[in-house]
Amino acid sequence: MADMTVKGAALAAAAAGRFDELPIHDPSIECASRERIRAIQLARLIDQVEWTYEQVAWYRRAMDDAGVAPSDIKTLDDVRKLPFTDKSALRDTFPYGMFAVPLDEVVELHASSGTTGKPVVVGYTKDDMDLWADCIMRLVQMAGVVPGDRVQMAFGYGMFTGGFGLHYGLQRLGCMMIPAGSGNTDRQIQMIQDYGSTVLVSTPSYALHICEVGESMGVDWSASTLRVGLFGGEPCTPAMKEEIERRMHIVCTDNYGLTEVMGPGVSGECLAERDMQHIAEDHFLWEVVDPVTGEPVDEGEAGELVLTPLGKRAIPVLRYRTHDLTRVVTERCACGRTTARMQKVRSRCDDMLIIRGTNVFPSQVEDVLSGIDGVTPHYRIVVDNETGLDRMTVYAELRPEAFSDSFEKMDAFRRAIEEKLKSVLLVSSKVKLVEPGGIERSTGKTKHVQDLRTLQ
Amino acid sequence: MSVSQISVFVESRPGHMARVLASFERAGINVRGYSASDTGDYGIVRFIVDDPDRALAVLEDMGAAAAKTEVLCALLPDTPGELARIMGIMARCNINVEYSYSLISTFIAMYVDDPAAAERALAGESIALVDQNDLVGFSVCADAEKSERETR
Repeated sequence: MADMTVKGAALAAAAAGRFDELPIHDPSIECASRERIRAIQLARLIDQVEWTYEQVAWYRRAMDDAGVAPSDIKTLDDVRKLPFTDKSALRDTFPYGMFAVPLDEVVELHASSGTTGKPVVVGYTKDDMDLWADCIMRLVQMAGVVPGDRVQMAFGYGMFTGGFGLHYGLQRLGCMMIPAGSGNTDRQIQMIQDYGSTVLVSTPSYALHICEVGESMGVDWSASTLRVGLFGGEPCTPAMKEEIERRMHIVCTDNYGLTEVMGPGVSGECLAERDMQHIAEDHFLWEVVDPVTGEPVDEGEAGELVLTPLGKRAIPVLRYRTHDLTRVVTERCACGRTTARMQKVRSRCDDMLIIRGTNVFPSQVEDVLSGIDGVTPHYRIVVDNETGLDRMTVYAELRPEAFSDSFEKMDAFRRAIEEKLKSVLLVSSKVKLVEPGGIERSTGKTKHVQDLRTLQ
Repeated sequence: MSVSQISVFVESRPGHMARVLASFERAGINVRGYSASDTGDYGIVRFIVDDPDRALAVLEDMGAAAAKTEVLCALLPDTPGELARIMGIMARCNINVEYSYSLISTFIAMYVDDPAAAERALAGESIALVDQNDLVGFSVCADAEKSERETR
């Protein structure tokens, strides 16, 4: 085993393919055969459906309406007989309508931020908290976190699942928690230095901010005790992660989860394939469906992730539609784990556009632009139907080095982008070139799409 | 013999060219001639300035997409038929002038594929080509101002 407490050891072992030197929390599950994983999932699914039907009136009614009884669940594929659950179900039953246990068995409440309307409130029994901690222990060790690490939590605590969720799991692993909370960057840097923090939990953009402020204060990150960054709360692009790793001299991973099914810990990134995250499959049954029809897509194909927590008691949602788009593969990972891996979520089906009957995802546009040297990955999409037909315009930002003093060349370049987009999107669009820096940057959830279509 | 032209990519929207010109002004760069053309969506503005290298540096600093291109620059006598004469020479020699615009006074800049061939074609035709140095410190009004002062 490589000594994970040595700065850079985890990344060095991964780069050399020595994955046997990296810790795996629970090999009996994480490295189990597919057959064993599926057997565990089926046993838990049968139990979960029965529990949910008995305890939650809302599900009893929904299943009765759909004409499905708990006894109809005999195989994993039978999960498709169950109705989906959407966020609205949790909103409509606010606050305790979906709870499956008396409130005196609930040991903690959390809530989603809820930018519109009522928040979604979720509860956890003591066993649920154990299950959650188990998920967290798996994903933090994928990044090389070990018992004894000093973890500075720069997430806000409060109702948000990211703070306490990671806190308990890391503490259970044997880490020393430093609950710094969010904000006050100078103090965060001081705390890293005073307490010898080895792990930073934050959003990736905040980690980059800490890095930059530290640099301007003269902090030598290469000599800092900090070794690992655990990110969440917002999507982290590979380029951003690479930049933080290089400038802060740490290894960074991010993980996936959502309040409605638990919180962080549904899946986590290992160091073998940085775009994929291992799902805690014994705790979550995953499906990938066509966001429009709800029918399953072929294995490995992209679609909407649907999750059924297995064994969660306080709020046992069935077939929760995440609206997150991903694809899931089940091949064994180079890191040694056999659990299914989902690609990092970069877009939601809410973002999906239907252009002249074809589904278009903004992330596809981003992928195409990322592969073209002369433009930046920043873009904006405007859709209108002024002429009666859907018309999509993609604004792409020119890189200075791609400019030439010739309309002919510039237009050929522009048309080449149009053709590449068409080959991927299967629908044509007009590309307009924008000056460098001409697309608005945003640190939060960037709004890429403007849909100006009106009903004809 | 040629002069350096600075081209800038601009969106066809109010304020974009003004921003470029403001940065030139701050840097004390003197614009001796320009041409702005667009496709409806975006445009290319071409400048001939006294200090092209500094102009390019200023544009790069502001993150603009800019490029330096060599163009021929000729000083034509201000009499009827001179523009026709130079374009006639180019036509006879089968040299395509892709674009051309005038500068202060009767300088005109021309972009051609093969500047050396064009220069050879013009050499025997008593058309004065100028280089970058001829554009530094040159002022059309200088003579006029001088004679005005003398009169007073």
